[in-house]
Amino acid sequence: MNIRKIVTLSEEILTEGGRPVTPGARVAIAVAVVENPWAGQGFVEDLTAGIDATASDLGALLTPKVIEALGAPVEAYGKAAIVGIEGEIEHGSALIHTLKFGDHYRKAASATTLLPAVEKRAPAGTVFDIPMKHITDATIRSHHQSVEVRIADAPHAGEILIALAASAQGRPQERLAPLSTEQ
Amino acid sequence: MSETAFIPIAEATDRASAVDELARELGVRRITVLTEEILRDGSGALASSVTKAAAAAVIRNPWSGSAVSTDLAPETERIAPVLAKLLTDRLTAALGGAGEIEAFGKSAVVGLNGEVEHAAALIHTPFFGNLVREFLEGTSILSFSDDRAEPGTSIAVPMWHKEAASTRSHYQTLTLTLSDAPHPNEIVIVAAASTGSRPHPRIGDRTTDRPVTAEILEGILQ
Repeated sequence: MNIRKIVTLSEEILTEGGRPVTPGARVAIAVAVVENPWAGQGFVEDLTAGIDATASDLGALLTPKVIEALGAPVEAYGKAAIVGIEGEIEHGSALIHTLKFGDHYRKAASATTLLPAVEKRAPAGTVFDIPMKHITDATIRSHHQSVEVRIADAPHAGEILIALAASAQGRPQERLAPLSTEQ
Repeated sequence: MSETAFIPIAEATDRASAVDELARELGVRRITVLTEEILRDGSGALASSVTKAAAAAVIRNPWSGSAVSTDLAPETERIAPVLAKLLTDRLTAALGGAGEIEAFGKSAVVGLNGEVEHAAALIHTPFFGNLVREFLEGTSILSFSDDRAEPGTSIAVPMWHKEAASTRSHYQTLTLTLSDAPHPNEIVIVAAASTGSRPHPRIGDRTTDRPVTAEILEGILQ
């Protein structure tokens, strides 16, 4: 696996809607910018070899980074694969939509649900939003949230950007639960 | 080795919380920390990785709607030192202490209802700059950018060597974007630092430059 750079982002929201958020709401992401394992090979029918060579290592690399960047227990989580314009979206999906990738994070966070994901193909500097849901119950409405990411110089055309996201709580000022009367 | 390395964790956490609380009272809405660890660039891996980090605070503009005759000093002296402490604490935490930092810089972006002078007030006085320099254990003047923009603008934070500003290998930039800031009545304040030089620096230095004047154009523009 050829990694160009590793990016982390941590956000603390201290006020929202003009009112204090106490304690501050924390969200973090960790991103690896890697060479597309299938770059320059034309249409590769069987992606297994590239997945086996890359996906688990990426999960193992990013899991401690995102947890450290959050600095608090993970309550909601998500993931992303952004493929440079010479690759296929299937290449990014190959690296994140396998238990080899996600199980590192699920285990470290004591999580049980599937990781919500965003996949897209885009030029460097693209803006993407990583969706997050609760780590043990994807129906907990307070924890549906997103974090926006932009890396000015990634992904290059032959790269893939792989990310994990974490939130330490629900949305700041979340107050939809009392309204959930529908079945 | 930074002084904070010797503070017990519980005490350091309490102190950090106090700074955060003060920041909130001063109108800080959000704090963002970005790190970029660069392992390879161009065609080659780096001998050792370099990490750049930026810490940004989004704060209510205390002067929004005020006249251009308003004295900016009182609010500057109240707010800027807290921002310097808040942001450099996050930078040293992200980069492993002030001793690891080789280059630094700062930026301010004011929302559309403010003046660039408001952004400048919070970064261009000793109440911010001297403290950033002290906390990051540098001696150079801080390189900077200041601007007025809509939320989501790309903020390029220039950095140079913290003790020898003309060290060419350490001229570098970190770019960040905050999707929802600055609001028209907010200011984004950023402090940034790097643990090393640009990847693969190889454009010499003042000590290796030969004299260059406009006369060289005579050889180029035949």
